Amino acid sequence: MASVNPTEPLVASDIRITDPEFRRFCDFFYRRTGIVFGDTQRVYVDRRLADCIVAAGSRGFAEHFARLLVEPREMERLISLFTVNETYFYREEYQLRCLTSTLLDGIVARKRIGQPVRLWSMPCSTGEEPYSIAIWLLENWAEVDRWDIEIIGSDIDTKVLEAAEAGEYSERALMRLPRPLVDKYFTRIGDKRYRIDEGLRGSVQFSRVNVIDQAEMARWRGIDVVFCRNMLIYFDEVSRRTAAGNLYDSLAPGGYICLGHTESMSRISPLFEVRRFPDAIVYQKPEEGGHA
Amino acid sequence: MRDGPASARVLVVDDGSLIRLYYREALEAAGFEVAEAINGIEALEKVLTDRFDLLIVDINMPKMDGVSFLRTLRARDGEAGAIPALVISSEAGEQDARDARAAGANYYLVKPVAAADLTLHVAVLTGTPSGGALA
Repeated sequence: MASVNPTEPLVASDIRITDPEFRRFCDFFYRRTGIVFGDTQRVYVDRRLADCIVAAGSRGFAEHFARLLVEPREMERLISLFTVNETYFYREEYQLRCLTSTLLDGIVARKRIGQPVRLWSMPCSTGEEPYSIAIWLLENWAEVDRWDIEIIGSDIDTKVLEAAEAGEYSERALMRLPRPLVDKYFTRIGDKRYRIDEGLRGSVQFSRVNVIDQAEMARWRGIDVVFCRNMLIYFDEVSRRTAAGNLYDSLAPGGYICLGHTESMSRISPLFEVRRFPDAIVYQKPEEGGHA
Repeated sequence: MRDGPASARVLVVDDGSLIRLYYREALEAAGFEVAEAINGIEALEKVLTDRFDLLIVDINMPKMDGVSFLRTLRARDGEAGAIPALVISSEAGEQDARDARAAGANYYLVKPVAAADLTLHVAVLTGTPSGGALA
């Protein structure tokens, strides 16, 4: 327990997390998010937890833990502090190339005119990935005006979703985007800060989703491609399988999952077929049948 | 105020946000001024309160589709009722093109339309062959 004078303002270094508190917290966080922390991440967890306790004005772990159970805003703050959000535009460009060189041809071949093409970025963090998909399609897909394209960005962290909707980025987030595209789709709003084009902002729909929550995921069906990079690596085996099953259910028959380049769905779930295309390896929900 | 000759003004009427953005970027790069509407109702409001040299109209849209919009527009007297309209539709059937023309479309293109083709057609239909500037 932290021994502090209740009249003094608390600083993060005052907070001590005991072993049972650490285990209790990890268990709680895992059940709510599917994300696993072990003893090797003890220092990381303790530091962020202490930051959270101080930022919320709680007097220690016990009080803060009680608040987490009843105050959704504190839970959101916690998730925001414990999930990694750094990304940039045109990250893993080979997958975007695969989308327009291969995946979309098969997807639209199964559709009638008027049926939407639904692309899902999850976790989308502050919006770099879903906006990259939109820019990539505008620049590289000859059929971009022929289909009703829905791009959805989802994350468990509501804070990053707010930032995604605001659409403001540092120069660093734009470092991989060719300069003509920065000039075309962004307005400079200050020292090394840029705001994304209004039309692009309107072309992506943002929504909070917890991938391991089956009821939440049931709202999302008929997705053609999910970009799900570097999320499953935070989960343990059970959560990974739950997430894979939920994603499978959200996909349209023949839909694809694109994972991060170090990840493999084959080790997580037998539900998907591995497809090795020239630009990328992706995972496909079979067109017929599948699990009930 | 802008310098130089005024640009031809184009209203893009399409329910697809990426599609509107694609057309807008292509047309603005060629020197046209572009406004947007997401369906026929919003387009009617805009043409009655603003001046346009050309309408680019999709057919399948919620609330008011392109054919209904053109019929309603053409039934009006005055300048707004006579604005030229380029219909760009995903419907490739001959009957679709005939319906659009009967409703008042001046020209019919089938999607997908490349940026260069779009600006060429818009230049011809607005009588501004050199990059959107009105003589």
